[in-house]
Amino acid sequence: MADHDEAAAAAIPPADWHPLPDRARLPSMLTPMLPFAIPGLVAGFVLAGVFDLWLAPPVLALVGLAIGAWIGLKHYRSTFWRLDADGLAVRRGRMWQRETRVPATRVQHLDIKRGPLQRQRNLATLIVHTAGTRHSAVTVPHLDAGDAERLRDLLARPIEANDADDDA
Amino acid sequence: MTTPDAPSPDAAPDATVTAERRLHPMSWLFVLVQQLKQFVLPLVALLVFGRGDRNELWPLIGVAVLVVLSLWQYFTYRYGVAGDRLVVRSGLFERSLRVIPFARIHNVALQQSALHRVFGVAEVRLESAGGSKPEAQMRVLKLEDALALEALVRHRGATATESSSEPESTTLLALPFGEIVRLGLVSNRGLVVVAAAFAAIVQISQRAVMDTFRSVGKWLFGFAGEHHFGLMQYVVSALALVLFAILVLRGFSILLALLQYHGFRLSEIGRRLTVERGLLARWRTSASRRRIQAWTLTEGTLHRLLKRRSLDVDTAVAEEHQQQRALRELAPIATPADCDALIEHLLPRAGWTQLDWRALPTSNWWRLVLPTIPVVIAITIAASWRFGAWGLLALAWLPWAGFAAHRRARRMAYAANAEIVAVREGWWTRHWRFAELDKLQALQLTRSPLDRRCGTATLHLDTSGAGALSPPLRVRFLPHDDALALYASLSRTLARRPLRW
Repeated sequence: MADHDEAAAAAIPPADWHPLPDRARLPSMLTPMLPFAIPGLVAGFVLAGVFDLWLAPPVLALVGLAIGAWIGLKHYRSTFWRLDADGLAVRRGRMWQRETRVPATRVQHLDIKRGPLQRQRNLATLIVHTAGTRHSAVTVPHLDAGDAERLRDLLARPIEANDADDDA
Repeated sequence: MTTPDAPSPDAAPDATVTAERRLHPMSWLFVLVQQLKQFVLPLVALLVFGRGDRNELWPLIGVAVLVVLSLWQYFTYRYGVAGDRLVVRSGLFERSLRVIPFARIHNVALQQSALHRVFGVAEVRLESAGGSKPEAQMRVLKLEDALALEALVRHRGATATESSSEPESTTLLALPFGEIVRLGLVSNRGLVVVAAAFAAIVQISQRAVMDTFRSVGKWLFGFAGEHHFGLMQYVVSALALVLFAILVLRGFSILLALLQYHGFRLSEIGRRLTVERGLLARWRTSASRRRIQAWTLTEGTLHRLLKRRSLDVDTAVAEEHQQQRALRELAPIATPADCDALIEHLLPRAGWTQLDWRALPTSNWWRLVLPTIPVVIAITIAASWRFGAWGLLALAWLPWAGFAAHRRARRMAYAANAEIVAVREGWWTRHWRFAELDKLQALQLTRSPLDRRCGTATLHLDTSGAGALSPPLRVRFLPHDDALALYASLSRTLARRPLRW
């Protein structure tokens, strides 16, 4: 099927698109697990209350966890980033593909976030803020920490040049 | 205690503040009014409970405290100019010093309520990009001082406000009475009034609403019952009622439009645009032309009947609750030719009237129907549940939706040149949305499974300050190759041009 080929092509991008490091697999899987497990648990309790199924809450919570982990894995496999002369580009999703590009001249400020698990695995999340509305914050989750800092420094350079321009 | 008059040494970091100015002496009154608005509920509560305790002085003490606070603000608030920046000092115990470079001010708004006009004063707000609060808010200044401050921002602090270097102010658009009536006709502001009135009545007394409904129902049905209305009479009276409601709503809309837009004037001084409007309360807001982030030209059905359009712009000033803070409506209503002329005048290099519109493939029209299908199915199910087989009539909406979608698909187009990128959509209500390339912030190319099947993609272009209600700047159903080419060329252009906002 043409769809499938294209999806496969998206999964193996050209060489200059960087995938996330192997270490990012676990945190990527953990991130969506809770948001899926909690509705499962709630639905389980509703079922338990209505139909007296005491097994429902743990089972549905586990199903939620599994779905979350699966989605996290898909996110992990379908996230790529690239830095070129024009700026930063992030490619996410396989079914719903989206490629977001922030030109280096449009970066307002940059954040690096590191959770405990990320610190342990030497990972970091880079958030690029623009002055836009709908895409005012572009997130690249679970990057290699060194890459994240390098990206931050490279993307921050035009800001300083810009500000120097303004004050002149 | 330091005297508030002594200029504090830390007031100006680099240049001395020239001639610090204060608020208008009556400003405490307006601060008080503002605070009373905020505290009206607690005060009413105090009044009610205070009476129960036979202690009627409590509310008065509350008001007295507010008066003292208002006076306090008046005595501690002052502003001045230091070089190319404005310095605002306020507070006595907890001092605040705010330094605002003129170059960072995106919007200057002067607001005059009827009470302000009695005293000849105005409230001034200076806004920078983003942020939920105004950068500085002067409540209140004498009108001349307010206008002088606005001129100061216009000259970026170069104090020669009285000199002859002031460029002429030219009127770009003025709305005479007839146009404002037209504006009232096309707008749905009357609905807002009715909804607000209804909400207010509900707030005051729920029983009143129920009683009103009951009496109206009694009048209608009692009347109908007495006279044994046939189907025809029912239809006629229902139509009459609907017509009456529409007339009342439109009447309210026209009244509101007159209140808000009387004396509307869009003028240009140098590179700054100023909008003035209002009958009792007056608004005057001004922003530099280059602060405009994105443009929306709309033409609804009623607009088309009256041969009018409206032109709105986005500025980077974050607008959350107060709608009148920033420059928003360049032309609330104007003929298509006037709108085009205005755009040509303000974006001279964009070539708005000679844009090379590129149509999008019409073969994707059916995708525009998809969002309506679940709604129609849900309505059909609900209607069949209630009315039996007659409910299936709801399905008749689908052919119409298909026809409308086809028409919409035929009108969808985009245009991009070296200066602007523009998108056109809609059939019943049409809109044109465009922005200068310099004002684009980020690009996103998305492909859903349907997009992949049809060989298309959607290109989203993000601008600053886009309201939740303004249409998005995005090109749908763009053939994938074209999308990639446009995306690549735009990202190259953006990377070369610095952000100017």
